[in-house]
Amino acid sequence: MDADALLPLVARGDQKAFEELYGLVSGPVYGLVRRVLRDPAQSEEVVQEVLLELWRTAARYDPARGSALSWILTLAHRRAVDRVRSARAASDREQRAAQRAEAPAFDQVAEEVEGSLEREWVRRCLERLTDLQHQAVTLAYYDGYTYREVARRLSVPLGTVKTRMRDGLLRLRDCLGAAA
Amino acid sequence: MRQTGTGPLGRIRLYVGGLRIGRTVHSLAVPYALDALDPQETRRFERHLEGCPRCTDEVRALAADTVRLAHAASVPAPPDLRDRILTAVRATEQEAPEPVPVVRERGGAPARGRAPVLVALAASAAVLALVAVGVLVLALGRADDRLGEERAATREIAHVLAAPDARAAATRDADGRGLGVVASRARGQAVVAPSRLGSPPDGRDHQLWVMRAGAAPRSLGLLDGETPVVTDDLNGKASSLAVTVEPDGGSVRPTTAPVVQLTLKSVGFGE
Repeated sequence: MDADALLPLVARGDQKAFEELYGLVSGPVYGLVRRVLRDPAQSEEVVQEVLLELWRTAARYDPARGSALSWILTLAHRRAVDRVRSARAASDREQRAAQRAEAPAFDQVAEEVEGSLEREWVRRCLERLTDLQHQAVTLAYYDGYTYREVARRLSVPLGTVKTRMRDGLLRLRDCLGAAA
Repeated sequence: MRQTGTGPLGRIRLYVGGLRIGRTVHSLAVPYALDALDPQETRRFERHLEGCPRCTDEVRALAADTVRLAHAASVPAPPDLRDRILTAVRATEQEAPEPVPVVRERGGAPARGRAPVLVALAASAAVLALVAVGVLVLALGRADDRLGEERAATREIAHVLAAPDARAAATRDADGRGLGVVASRARGQAVVAPSRLGSPPDGRDHQLWVMRAGAAPRSLGLLDGETPVVTDDLNGKASSLAVTVEPDGGSVRPTTAPVVQLTLKSVGFGE
């Protein structure tokens, strides 16, 4: 069963369905949270929070708004981004992060495990973006910066950042569509 | 998107709270899909989404793109994380599905974010239930303005649960009055959840204590119903937790016999 079929069962309290769903989503959820937060212990905490929230609030999922997987990953991504932003606000890590951002660390975590086909394709397609598109998308999504922060970081106007993000995602969509 | 349009709509600009509302809000769809808006802009865009089917379609399509970015970052989760989460799930009550009749009776209050949650602490529930349910249930069952606070409480619980040495214990007397705890000796942290203690007599409070070997009991504060108490400075001397009835505002030392008491030995304290 896929996540769309499992989530309604989970919403009715089916723990077996939750276990199965866990098997499907734990990799992407953990990987994504860890990609944003980098720290393994913090990542585990956030993943716990997210998956418990998923269990508790599964009944809120509305299929009209998108796939179950997308709902779950959005939940996870938002929580990770919240956490990394408050951590940045609390300790002034922004300076160091800015230096690291010069060389996006996208490959670091991904290379710890052998690549899946889809991941390989996404990576390949990401490489086909222009530098600015690539950085705009990854600084926002993988590093949790707001588009305003991304604009500052890349020293480009806000409008340009939004356009590059859009172009980047669309090019990624085209590239992956061609691969499928 | 800064040019002034020549059509009739293009000239209309609305200024609300210093933000230009109008066509530029559409350009926020992409940063929204990437979670790259600040909270204020997120709210603004979500309000806009409610009345814009085209934007909803666009956001849905963009969400499919970001799902692929998420997949690209996939890494196997640590095996023990699975055990912890499944344990917590077994002990955690789900939010009641909407719509919730109670809310409708109250007349028009939106169910979203306010849905009351069934705090069903079954007598047979696993020990974790006392704690996990108590707090997790609070997290989303209240008005929005308290959400942040309660998220923080949930996070505290998750943090204690995440400790490699986290253990749970609970006690319950014949009348159903109970005390549950999840504690980490290594971190000196514990989350204490009272259950069904009832209201203290008029002009009195329930006060939580940690009893210590060779030292006077130390107050962990007054209880507020079943709201869990988080403490982060338990040390090895802590031998048990106790709740007493004290005069309004609490006492420096317990002045009555405990209503309920829970030994901490099984969670790694009190040598």
